[in-house]
Amino acid sequence: MSLARRAAAVLTAVLLPVTVLGAAPATSPPSTDTVAGTTVLQQVDSAASLTGVTLVVRAGLDRQTMKQNGLAALVAETIIKTPVGTPAMPLDDAVAARGGSVRFTVDPGDVRFYVEALAADAPAVLDLLRAAIAAPDFSPATVRAARVALTQEIAASQQVALQVGLDMLNAASSAQANAGLPELGTPASLADLFPADAAAFYRAYYRRGGVLVSAAGQLGALSTATLSDLAGALPLGTTLPVTVHEAALRGTTREIVAHRDISSPWLIAQYPAPRVDNRDFGPMLVLAAFLRRTISDIAQVPGVVSPTFASRSVGAVYVYDRVPSSLVIYVNGGLIGNPSRTFATALSVVNVLAATTLQGSIEEFKAEAAGDFADSATTLETRTWLAAVFSRESTSPDFINHALAAISATTPADVQRAARTYLGNPTIALVLPRGTNLQD
Amino acid sequence: MAESALQQTGTLPHGGMYVIDPDTTVASAAIALWFRAPGAGYDDSTPGIAELAATAAAVAPLASGKSLFKLVHSVGGELNVEVYPDIVGIATVVPASSSRRVVAAITAAYYAPAVDDVAVKTARANAAVLGVQQRYEADATLHDLLFKQIFANGPAHYPPLPVSVAEITSISTAQIGAFAKRAFRSENSILALSGNVDASSLTAVTDGGGPGRMDPPYDSTLAASPTSATASGLIGGIGLAWIGPPITDEKASTALDFIADYLFRDETGVVTKGLDQSASDALVIGQFITLHDPGVMVVTIGGDHADQVRDRVLGALSAMRTPMDARTFNAAREAFLYHVASDTQTPQERADNLGWYGVEGDLGYAPGIVDGTYGRSVRSLDPAYVADIVKHYLGTPVVVNLQAKESSQ
Repeated sequence: MSLARRAAAVLTAVLLPVTVLGAAPATSPPSTDTVAGTTVLQQVDSAASLTGVTLVVRAGLDRQTMKQNGLAALVAETIIKTPVGTPAMPLDDAVAARGGSVRFTVDPGDVRFYVEALAADAPAVLDLLRAAIAAPDFSPATVRAARVALTQEIAASQQVALQVGLDMLNAASSAQANAGLPELGTPASLADLFPADAAAFYRAYYRRGGVLVSAAGQLGALSTATLSDLAGALPLGTTLPVTVHEAALRGTTREIVAHRDISSPWLIAQYPAPRVDNRDFGPMLVLAAFLRRTISDIAQVPGVVSPTFASRSVGAVYVYDRVPSSLVIYVNGGLIGNPSRTFATALSVVNVLAATTLQGSIEEFKAEAAGDFADSATTLETRTWLAAVFSRESTSPDFINHALAAISATTPADVQRAARTYLGNPTIALVLPRGTNLQD
Repeated sequence: MAESALQQTGTLPHGGMYVIDPDTTVASAAIALWFRAPGAGYDDSTPGIAELAATAAAVAPLASGKSLFKLVHSVGGELNVEVYPDIVGIATVVPASSSRRVVAAITAAYYAPAVDDVAVKTARANAAVLGVQQRYEADATLHDLLFKQIFANGPAHYPPLPVSVAEITSISTAQIGAFAKRAFRSENSILALSGNVDASSLTAVTDGGGPGRMDPPYDSTLAASPTSATASGLIGGIGLAWIGPPITDEKASTALDFIADYLFRDETGVVTKGLDQSASDALVIGQFITLHDPGVMVVTIGGDHADQVRDRVLGALSAMRTPMDARTFNAAREAFLYHVASDTQTPQERADNLGWYGVEGDLGYAPGIVDGTYGRSVRSLDPAYVADIVKHYLGTPVVVNLQAKESSQ
């Protein structure tokens, strides 16, 4: 049986008619306030013992020039290493000593800090973050410590084949070349960035305009004003992305290959996907659930019910919280017998989806999509971040009810339209162990 | 508001205990059923029977014709069977809208188990695959080997997962069915509900054996003089174990949790951070396993230079025999309180904790209840007490050296 026919057989087999989506109990949507131009989102959870706060600043990858690869991360890490409190110690250590944690993520357009603490400690911990953001220490020692920390993190991420592949695919799919640079930079690019560069980037882009504060959990000890004060640590003003014009690469292949010190090959395909405010958001969540189930079934040991190495070595992820959104399919070649066949079958399934009228019910995949979404939005960090994403990219920060409603309203025709619109021609990344090549 | 004020406990309509820990701000619900059950059977002669019975009950068709496993997946949820030497947990997480159906199905599947040959065949296949996988997991393998050394008799002497296909197939459907009927009684269970779920779901429970008592704990007999051992496996590593206090000694148990967190927690532990800074590829996992009587502190070491890492672990423990300075201790204790809260923030984590601590005999001690006894125990710790606990419990460990044998694959 050819791979395409096998894919069609899989499609027929799994689209069984069932009706499973019941009415979901509505959850309270996040509240939205605007304080002195800063958007403040709050999700009160009286069952939580923690407070989580995400601070989003418009100082991400697209504020860097191509030569400044890694500068956004270096500034954020310098803030994490800035001495605060009494006795003074780096922000991350000071927060940990108060019973909490702080970390950052660099996105194409933003940098976001996430701080979490026991509710009683939250005001003090937010004060520490505010102090570091208001006056980062750009001394050579602190910037050096930040560079060392980033270099270690980059080295670790280079051992994660999926991350290596995603970095390459994101670089290829970004409309602006600088927004597709590696989130943490590279050791070489960081070595060329100095305290003056970091200080200049901070002065230029850490502005109050566009700042968003999203809080969730036990918020009794925090007022809206306390949360908006985080933004008040920054000077007024708005910033614009750096425009970078790079001629598009012209080639006949859509494959990117990298070699790393890993033990097994990884195969990763990336497709464009809709934003959360698009009518295809719900259908794409259902499509992703369908693909996840299908390729897991292909890889899984028949008749086994527990998750196995094989079933966990494949996946499909709809990345809707990054710009541009994408759908990613991956296969870890080290844990299943024939990764090339599994990957090819997965791609064939996608082609069949785009070309064939769906038969049968999609209710089971709608249920799976709803379950996946609900279960992925239970930590405070995820909840603060998703509220921020939906606040920015749609008319409401109410991510849960919006997503569940979009899934519930999805029809087979919607799924097929989304498949035809987005799942045409993937870009493929192959991450191979050193010393191997495509033919191995 | 304190979490303990939100929790509800009580008796199910047809026997058995429930605990509900609601949070209506999330869209999912965790529904878990926990039992006291000896992993190797009631006479310790059938290692793996609890695993086989728990899986078979999950895949056996219910009155609707659909198994619990299929139902949970059809509503977009996940189901995991968790078998330990003395207890069994069935953990599901589902969209909140399906919680009532899943409560009905999980109690029907276990309170009235209908285990047949087809279900047992699936359970055997599942156990065989998990058994092969475990050979590639040094931590789980070392854990079982350490328990074998520490406990001379009882369920903890045997691995929860059968080690060979012969062992798996030697247990008959009749034996598995009889075990399921005896172990999975409503009165021997705790139903733990967490997340977007409320007490109205309990009316969906239609099965159960009526009033009765939970089985006594299935404790194991300690070896008179536990000895170290060497074993061979597909993956190498070193395991260290120390016998700890029973769950009833809450303060000592909490102190050992604190020590494990301070030394071995991922990213923040003193030993872990030291390894990260030296760019070591060694992996150290350290935890105190709270059991009815006794608990066990286990540290497993994988990766390169395991001998050196073992020395580093023992050195760090030795240093803790001297009371920590007040500032370091206070920061570590505050961090520990945060880690506990962080690790118990999702419905699934909370249901797991409530189920585990409930069947081990101390539901009120489950971590994650802010004003519960666990939080109070943490706050009662001081440097001198922690140092005393290290001296009392963490002396010379039982050691298992797992040597990797050459593999053709």
